[in-house]
Amino acid sequence: MRVRKNDKLFVIIAVIVIIAMIVLAIVINVKSKDNIDYSKMTEEEIAAVVEEQVNEMEKNDLGEMGERDRMEHYVASFIEAIENKEYEDAYEMLYDDFKKNYFPNYADFEEYAKNKFPSMISVEHTNFERNGDVYVLWTKLSNPMGSKNSAIEINFVVKENDLNDFDISFKIF
Amino acid sequence: MNFTEFRLKFRHFIRKYRRVILIIFVIWAAIFFINAMLKNRINQPEATTTYDAHTSVIDSTASTPANLQNPIEDMIEEYVGYCNEGNYQKAFNMLSEDCRKYEFNNSVSDFMEHVLVKMPTPKKYSIQDYSNVKYGNKRLYIYEIKYTDDLLATGLTNSTYAYTSEKFTFYNGDDGLEMGAGNYIYYSDIKSISENEYLKIDVTHKVVNYSIETYEVKFTNRSNYTVVIADGQEANEAILVLPNETRNPSEIADIVLAPNEEKTLEMVFPKFADDGDASQSIIFSSVRVMEHYSGVGEEVPPETIQSEIDNAISKFSMEISVAE
Repeated sequence: MRVRKNDKLFVIIAVIVIIAMIVLAIVINVKSKDNIDYSKMTEEEIAAVVEEQVNEMEKNDLGEMGERDRMEHYVASFIEAIENKEYEDAYEMLYDDFKKNYFPNYADFEEYAKNKFPSMISVEHTNFERNGDVYVLWTKLSNPMGSKNSAIEINFVVKENDLNDFDISFKIF
Repeated sequence: MNFTEFRLKFRHFIRKYRRVILIIFVIWAAIFFINAMLKNRINQPEATTTYDAHTSVIDSTASTPANLQNPIEDMIEEYVGYCNEGNYQKAFNMLSEDCRKYEFNNSVSDFMEHVLVKMPTPKKYSIQDYSNVKYGNKRLYIYEIKYTDDLLATGLTNSTYAYTSEKFTFYNGDDGLEMGAGNYIYYSDIKSISENEYLKIDVTHKVVNYSIETYEVKFTNRSNYTVVIADGQEANEAILVLPNETRNPSEIADIVLAPNEEKTLEMVFPKFADDGDASQSIIFSSVRVMEHYSGVGEEVPPETIQSEIDNAISKFSMEISVAE
């Protein structure tokens, strides 16, 4: 009789454990699924969510890159913003003290970027050095449609605060 | 086998192996649960870099103990801050007593001169554990500090990429963490003597900098003759002996002692503090005791020089241990 009671208790506990683990696993799975209901969102909210997701994807991609590739990516982001005439975005990327020194007003930078950078930009990275947590990149910027001698050699200095969070400056030319 | 037979056998099987079957189910449910957890664990991407300030450049398996890392960073920050402010006395006071004495002659102005060479204008800096060496029972952590202009603030406008650097040494002393600057590593009392009837050589101490060892050597001529220890006439007149090689001094002045003369000189040998070799001895391989010595200048005919060497009263080699 005693043996039977023990058997029953064992079966009950085992069944409870199995059910509990299966339920928990299902709950975790459901919770982790993307449950964003876009139908109830405004366009701005949707844009913000999409931007966040794109940023996450970009961070994931950057996380798989080596440091040199990441720094070149940040320089490319800056150049791309200028090429696309998104000067405010490019201005935002600049290091605060660099802005204070050379472009205290956004208008100064916009004018400089419009006049100095080629309208189409091809970037060639020629050298790279790390000094502590600051990276110095040597680059040649040229207009692929322009003459061969139009290349500009400039330095970019980059500090990465986190993935896709960086400060940048460049040699004024 | 009909259905009733099969049903009975199945029931019998289930009853017999009830425990085993339940255990298998529990294990399966556990695997299912763990799998669901792992599948949904969010792997946060990280910005990996090759920069690790506290791992030695010379030996990547060696690093500064975790409990010293922040104090070292804080000391360097404070030191560079004082130097940038021009508060040289405070920066000087942060250095170990040995470093102040043997590297800067206990002189703030000597120290200031050094700082102004490394940091003529306020600088940013970066640190890197360079190597960790043992001296006696002390573990020394040698860091390289690189000083640059604020590269981010200028973007290298109107300048090129350049830096100055120096080695700092840290070790746990009686009064806590001690710091040495200006490539100073440590000081060691040698107090080693070698002598014979003509000459006594006394190596009193050495000062180890990152790339040189400086020995203070006292020479005493015990004879009534001229004793020539080095005048450039013989090869390897003074050498530092390491376990597998020898080193000539970076620069050697003529060491010529008049009868009964005493002379104290500093001898500098090139040697990296973290090359893993311990200095063994200094050998003066061509000591000459001479009755007549006319010198070795251009005005002295070579045959006179050779004749005086040939007629030397005694020629010998003297080795003084400098092992710590």
